Amino acid sequence: MPVIEANNLTKRFGPLTAVDHVSFSVEEGEILGFLGPNGAGKTTTLNMLATLLRPTSGTATVNGHDILEESDAVRRSIGFVFQDPTLDIELTGHENLDFHGRLYGLKRDVRQQRIKEILKVVQLTDRADDLVKTYSGGMKRRLEIARGLLHYPKVLFLDEPTLGLDPQTRRAIWEHIQRLNQDENITIILTTHYTEEADYLCDRIQIIDFGKIVALDTPDKLKARLEGDIVSLVFKDSAAIPKIKPLLEKKGWVRRVDEVASDNNHAAMSRMMQAMRGMASGNMGGMMPSMSFGGAAGRSKIPKHMPQKIVQGIGGGNGENGRDGGQRRLNLLVDDGGHRIPEIVKLVDRTGAVLESVELHKPTLDDVFLSVTGRNIRDERGSFMETVRRYRIVREARGQHVRG
Amino acid sequence: MVQPLSGQAIYVVLLRELKRYWRAKARIIASVAQSFFFLVIFGLGLGSFIGGFGGMNYLSYLGPGIIGMGLLFGSVFSGVSVIFDRQFGFMKEMLVAPVSRTSIILGKILGGAVTASIQGIILMTVAGLMGAFTPTPALAAGVLAAVGVMLLITAGFVGLGVTIGSALSDFHAFQLIATFVMWPLFMLSGVFFPIDMAPAPLQVAMLCDPMFYGVELLRWCLLGAGTPLLGPFGWLIALGVLAGFTAVMVGIGTYLFSRVQV
Ligand SMILES: Nc1ncnc2c1ncn2[C@@H]1O[C@H](COP(=O)(O)OP(=O)(O)O)[C@@H](O)[C@H]1O
Ligand SMILES: [Mg+2]
Repeated sequence: MPVIEANNLTKRFGPLTAVDHVSFSVEEGEILGFLGPNGAGKTTTLNMLATLLRPTSGTATVNGHDILEESDAVRRSIGFVFQDPTLDIELTGHENLDFHGRLYGLKRDVRQQRIKEILKVVQLTDRADDLVKTYSGGMKRRLEIARGLLHYPKVLFLDEPTLGLDPQTRRAIWEHIQRLNQDENITIILTTHYTEEADYLCDRIQIIDFGKIVALDTPDKLKARLEGDIVSLVFKDSAAIPKIKPLLEKKGWVRRVDEVASDNNHAAMSRMMQAMRGMASGNMGGMMPSMSFGGAAGRSKIPKHMPQKIVQGIGGGNGENGRDGGQRRLNLLVDDGGHRIPEIVKLVDRTGAVLESVELHKPTLDDVFLSVTGRNIRDERGSFMETVRRYRIVREARGQHVRG
Repeated sequence: MVQPLSGQAIYVVLLRELKRYWRAKARIIASVAQSFFFLVIFGLGLGSFIGGFGGMNYLSYLGPGIIGMGLLFGSVFSGVSVIFDRQFGFMKEMLVAPVSRTSIILGKILGGAVTASIQGIILMTVAGLMGAFTPTPALAAGVLAAVGVMLLITAGFVGLGVTIGSALSDFHAFQLIATFVMWPLFMLSGVFFPIDMAPAPLQVAMLCDPMFYGVELLRWCLLGAGTPLLGPFGWLIALGVLAGFTAVMVGIGTYLFSRVQV
């Protein structure tokens, strides 16, 4: 029986339909990812499932309980790690956990045992008795996650769990999430707008855009939808793109051409993945983390591969020059891309345009997102306030203080 | 909607309020000092000019009113802090837990009442040490009764604070609350001058101020007398009005809180 079944969940805020007839189901023990850009409706969906928001229409069951009729039973079945900070910073880390344990009715000895365990996992044992306001952003995030796990929920909601965290912390949290899922058989729904995170963690990914589910499949099958390779072209002058795009579209071996923002976010993420690759060295392919199989449940999982990037630098680095924000690139989906690069370069040369770099890689979830929505997942939309808020989360997570 | 109460949930929310109160020592000191200045400067300064009312010296008259001020400000602020819980996110942690909102808000109200009453007890001690109350055997009983009255008053005003805090979503409105709610409640509660001497329209306004009855009751407890206007059973009237006010405010606050969306 599915642990979660959503049936035409819909939420309107005034004229805006934030979540639009969303239906899906989640099996026990699964990790389901909601992948979508800011403002897609991920948080709103989770809030409805967690009984914090009433759907405008539609309903859902969580662990067999209706979210409208049996909200207390639903809340007993779930744990929630929120996107925004929700700690009491005037209390110590231990007190925050203790408060939570009591609120969920854990008996004294169980509570103390679990708190001790979980503090060790998130490496906060030494700081447990300090006030949370003295913690760094990463420590706070770890404490939030620890708190969500304290009562061994049946279903765990993780809303952008690693937003703004550094690679090491992010990796530790990913591993912990996997361990919980496997050892404690906790069903997990997580939202993210990091494709790498979805790819790494999730059994199935649901791509959500403008409140609608536009794709739902395993990461591998999603990527397999795009046969071929992605060749990404960055020009010295983006003005050349309109002239070149039709020429490429005419070629039979070019399956599709997309014009996307060449943002530095992407470059930053690639650098992060590079760093992680270093940390995980010794594993096959360099990208597989030491996953803990075994455990009581002993479930075997389909290994989740990270995107393998082959970067062929011609000219400048990957997206490094896109910092002005206005730079665009062309992404081509090409059969046997490696062999087509000389031909592509020649074609571009004939038009007189100057290439800054050419990059070849296997389709990633970024490319899948682009192909199903027609947009780059990192194109920001959403309100001004939301952007400011996210900026603050990221800044604070990096340990800088933003007042205002 | 009937919501089951959980003693454990009420207790942990109460515990949190106490811990936070105890840690904010600077705030405790500041608010005690503020009331202390009122007592000293008005009690002694204005007192030496006025002398007293109806055989009671001015410091004695002022004492229960200043205690009331501490209770009022402490409790309304404590209730309004649901806005901050919402702003800083902790509210979500409480609302997503499998306990009823009624339990949460009752814990919050109880916590606010206890902490504001601690404040009141400190002020009562200070005023006592300044000689505001005549030490008699009756005073011992009066002090105990006063503590009970403090809990009743503060529960009502935390309820008022929660009502305001649940209705407003934005803490920039805080300044407005102070100016248009707390100050009138305080100024009209008969702290500085007896209601008997005020012009009629002002008397009406004072009789509409729930805090007026709170201060009256404290005077009955600590001084053994209230305003002649309410008669010899003034304490009973005051107790009735106050109990009604508290019941209504706790009810409205609880209801509005149960409808808050995060
Ligand atoms: N309480 C609210 N009132 C009005 N609009 C809201 C509210 N919460 C979210 N929204 C809007 O709903 C849309 C979806 O938001 P959200 O679910 O937070 O997206 P995501 O988590 O995918 O970034 C956004 O456009 C957001 O501005
Ligand atoms: Mg979100």
